[in-house]
Amino acid sequence: MEITRRQGLMGLAALAAAPALLPGEAAAQSRAETLRQVTGGAVNTLDPTMPGSTRESFGISMNVYDRLVGFGRKMVGGNWVFDHTEIRGELAERYEISADGLVITLHLRRDALWHDGTPVTAEDVKWSLDRHVSSKSLAVSQFQTGSLTSTEQFRIVDAHTVQVVLDKPDRLALSNLAVPYAIMINSRLAKQNATPDDPWAQKWMQANTAAGGAYKVESFRPGVQVVLARNEAWKGGPLPFFRRVISQSVPEAATRANLIEKGDADLAIDLQAGDIAALTQRAQVKVASIPQSNGFTHISFNTRQAPFDNPKVRQAIAAALPYEDMFKASLFSRGRVLFGADWKVPPNADFPQALPMRQDLARARALLTEAGLADGFATTFSFGTSTAATSEPLAALVQEALAKVGIRVEIQKLPDAQLNTLQAEKKLAFYTDSGTAWLPATYYFFYLYFTRDQRWNFANWENARITELSNAARFERDTAAYEAQCKEMISILADQLPLLLLWQPNMDAVMNKAIEGFTYQFYRQVDFRDLKRA
Amino acid sequence: MSAATSGLPPLLRHAGWVLRGNPVTALAMLGTALLVLLALLAPWLVPYDPIASNVRMAMQPPSAAHWFGTDQLGRDILSRLLMGARLDLAIAASAVGLSFVVGAVVGAFCGYQGGWLDRAVGRGVDVLMAFPLFVLAMAMVAALGNRVENIVYATAIINLPFYIRFARTEVAVRRQAGWVEAARAAGHGRAGVVLGFLLPNILPNIAVQISLNLGWAILNAAGLSFLGLGITAPTPEWGIMVAEGARFITAGQWWLVAFPGLALMLAVLCFNLLGDGLRDILDPRMRT
Amino acid sequence: MQVLRRAALRVGGRLLSSVPAVLGVVVLTFLVMRVLPGDPAVYFAGGPSAGQEQIDALRVQMGLDKPLPVQLLTYLRDIARGDLGRSLTTGQPVVVDIAQRLPASLELTLTALLLALLAALPLGILAALRPGSAVDHLVRFLCTMGVCMPTFVSGLLLVYVFYYLLGWAPDPTGRIDVFAASPPEITGFLLVDFALVGDGEGWRAAAAQLILPSCTMALFVLAPLARMTRASMLAVLGGDFIRTARAMGLPGWRVILVHALRNALLPVITITGIVFSTMLGANVLVEKVFSWPGVASYALDALQASDYAPVQGFVLLMASIFVLVNLVIDLLYGLADPRAAG
Repeated sequence: MEITRRQGLMGLAALAAAPALLPGEAAAQSRAETLRQVTGGAVNTLDPTMPGSTRESFGISMNVYDRLVGFGRKMVGGNWVFDHTEIRGELAERYEISADGLVITLHLRRDALWHDGTPVTAEDVKWSLDRHVSSKSLAVSQFQTGSLTSTEQFRIVDAHTVQVVLDKPDRLALSNLAVPYAIMINSRLAKQNATPDDPWAQKWMQANTAAGGAYKVESFRPGVQVVLARNEAWKGGPLPFFRRVISQSVPEAATRANLIEKGDADLAIDLQAGDIAALTQRAQVKVASIPQSNGFTHISFNTRQAPFDNPKVRQAIAAALPYEDMFKASLFSRGRVLFGADWKVPPNADFPQALPMRQDLARARALLTEAGLADGFATTFSFGTSTAATSEPLAALVQEALAKVGIRVEIQKLPDAQLNTLQAEKKLAFYTDSGTAWLPATYYFFYLYFTRDQRWNFANWENARITELSNAARFERDTAAYEAQCKEMISILADQLPLLLLWQPNMDAVMNKAIEGFTYQFYRQVDFRDLKRA
Repeated sequence: MSAATSGLPPLLRHAGWVLRGNPVTALAMLGTALLVLLALLAPWLVPYDPIASNVRMAMQPPSAAHWFGTDQLGRDILSRLLMGARLDLAIAASAVGLSFVVGAVVGAFCGYQGGWLDRAVGRGVDVLMAFPLFVLAMAMVAALGNRVENIVYATAIINLPFYIRFARTEVAVRRQAGWVEAARAAGHGRAGVVLGFLLPNILPNIAVQISLNLGWAILNAAGLSFLGLGITAPTPEWGIMVAEGARFITAGQWWLVAFPGLALMLAVLCFNLLGDGLRDILDPRMRT
Repeated sequence: MQVLRRAALRVGGRLLSSVPAVLGVVVLTFLVMRVLPGDPAVYFAGGPSAGQEQIDALRVQMGLDKPLPVQLLTYLRDIARGDLGRSLTTGQPVVVDIAQRLPASLELTLTALLLALLAALPLGILAALRPGSAVDHLVRFLCTMGVCMPTFVSGLLLVYVFYYLLGWAPDPTGRIDVFAASPPEITGFLLVDFALVGDGEGWRAAAAQLILPSCTMALFVLAPLARMTRASMLAVLGGDFIRTARAMGLPGWRVILVHALRNALLPVITITGIVFSTMLGANVLVEKVFSWPGVASYALDALQASDYAPVQGFVLLMASIFVLVNLVIDLLYGLADPRAAG
């Protein structure tokens, strides 16, 4: 009852406000309150947990769906960057973790509403969490990394309180509730659209939403554009500035740059390095360059395939590459380097951090000789089509540099689906790719990228000590012990070099000069709730 | 054989006459000859190694040292253009050559013999014709891998239907001609008649199409490059130079696209005008 | 009555005889897609923490665990029911995607074809009137210029000059200004829909978005159309009835436009049909450059992701259009020249 009356009042207020504006002013105002983002990729589903959902889909879902909790943000070098160490409430107004770290109690906002105006209940939350551990979706394996595996772990305490119960005090259990997959769903609406074959309404949710976030989906054309309208009844935080957001797919990067420079679009985060340099120089737009602190570009070896199964060969290649030239040619030096460090013991437990790799051809030749390959060998270096702009110059330099130590490299450019397949089947010998961890804890990087027989083990690497340390660190409650474990893992990595860390490319958000508040998010998309036009 | 050779001297005279009256064709011929010459001599003409990088000299605008400027890795664009000419002409020539040889021979036999062979091949050609050809080329390169030979095969296959149909029609028209009967009477077998008499006779008409197709094959390779399905760097190839350079237009580094683009345009232009001109020379009716 | 029945029989016969070709296309596409080394299950299960279980589950869901002949038969059965499968890239049924995107491609291609014909016919006639003259050479040169630039280069250049430098063209992002309201979906052709609801401003905006991409495509097909017009006009102008018409003192332009052109049009129609079907399949590059939400760019994205269903659906669509266009040309021939219909 209360709800409908408030909505009615808001409608009246809108009616009263409307005649005050002349049509031209109204158009200008609505343009000022509309954000237009242009993207290279496209949103392909409104349900981020659908297999195949794109990064753009994750971004949209962060604005449309609420999660129980969210990460805070902090200023780093004059730019906002997400802060995974500060976890604040979103749909839950607050939470408590028990002293033993086994029970997380979440108190829901009592005034929170779904987009259809119905109140958010603990049943909705329980249903959503159950979905993320039971349905055939991407959420299942993600939630496993937080020891969230069974519906029994989610308990309803009362209408506005939910508990998450753990077997072990997993470091990342709570953080996992903040990732893009952890959407909170209007269960009543979703159940209405579920079928016996599809009890979690996964088909329906691809093109429809059962959400309660800061924005509502006004229109959605998969692969083309999404239009969002502000949810005036949102309670999860301060009401966002922009009333409308248009996220449009413009595949040609040069066109995206033109649109921003002409002021027709407001924001793009995936321009080419060359264009960004030019735009920065011409100073018509604002560029926020933020190193992607939770990502890394790498060159991987297949560590179970000759000759790369020999650490000396990997070290030799590490000593043969012209890192600075590669960084310049590939990224126009836009990023943070992960090579050229000068340490024997890692200075801290952070990861990714720069490793002591530098070009030294004499050392490379000596190592190859030690490995019994003084005459070199032939191999193939692969990369995916979608990264061609940065990988092609990189590959050319790798080929040229390795020729100097007798290694003959053939370059192979593969469509991404093929690269991914070969990667999953561990059939690539030597290639470049990049990885990003949503939850940038050092142990999580090692667990995800350097252990187990799975696709993201880029180098197909097996190291008993790393496996042992990453499993221990996951449940380690003592900070000093945890840091010691992390440092040891980093030392082993730097010595064994299953892959060469190259750099963290910048996230270059190019925007209209009046746009403020851009924050680099761990899922590498835009949180429209942070933005405003000055 | 007689029919094919006896036509030559008047044809040459006619060609001379057409060329005098048609400066465009003459220019195209000259341009094509120059292009082939440059491609052949490229290894001796290039001022720099087209593959060696020099990152300190990256993205330099045209200067006395680098007439056409340098690219992202500091490589000399002029040198890459010259070496690229070799590869591009080779790709175009082998793709068109392949489809021409296979298509003309198969088509000629179909036209001469008719019957089940003709019907079977005809069905196959129908299938190919109904394909969106550029997408077929894309799928083939994606399936086989983007190496030079696969780009040649893909381009050849999508040209094939045309040559088969053309040769078939031309041969079918001549099948009952007196000189073919004479060849048969002289004891030439089926293969002998088709390969020794009919094919040489229809060759001039197909030549027109070859020239037009050469230009088209170069464009096709460039299109594939633009979609990331072309030759892999660092091999110098015009298509990929244009495709990569086109992305620097906005950034103001025009020389990256302008010179390869011009080279590509001029080459295709020459081939097309040449094809047109050849048509005029061979088919005087079109001119009067 | 007799005429109608004969026409119907003819249409039926033609459609029936094209079934094997279309079937061949379907099977061939199916096989080519399966030869692609990319595994769609791996690509689409690719969340930041997806494991082998997710990949296997997806493979079962897509039917990829079954032997190839079974997959092919299932696919053919689905096609017969009008089900082209589901796209993993967009998460929608392929039929729905294509129905949404085909009007965009058709509108673009038809506009481009119209522009090309508007330019090619006069140019071809001009050239045919004075064969061998400077005008003839100039026309030939100009048309050939259009065909010798890759469409993505001419497209990017047009955007650079007319949008970026001069600011005359609207931003090259799709069919309609993102801030403008779309017309109600009636035919899917924006120009038609805007005209139907009488929205002049919307119509002009949609037309403005069409200009650059359709010019890019028109440039590329100018040459074959102009060349065919010229050749066909030359043949007709040499004919007896033209000489008779001139002898009867009919004005020159009338002879050319009414008598000659009408008779020269048939070969031009044929080549237009061929050009149309090629354009529709080949405008991948133009759609990419202009963010045009058409079927070709849809197929390209799917191809790069090894997403089988959309590519197969697209090729089937193109083959069907090819058959239909040929049929239409055939019927036009029959109408224009009853002898050809016999």
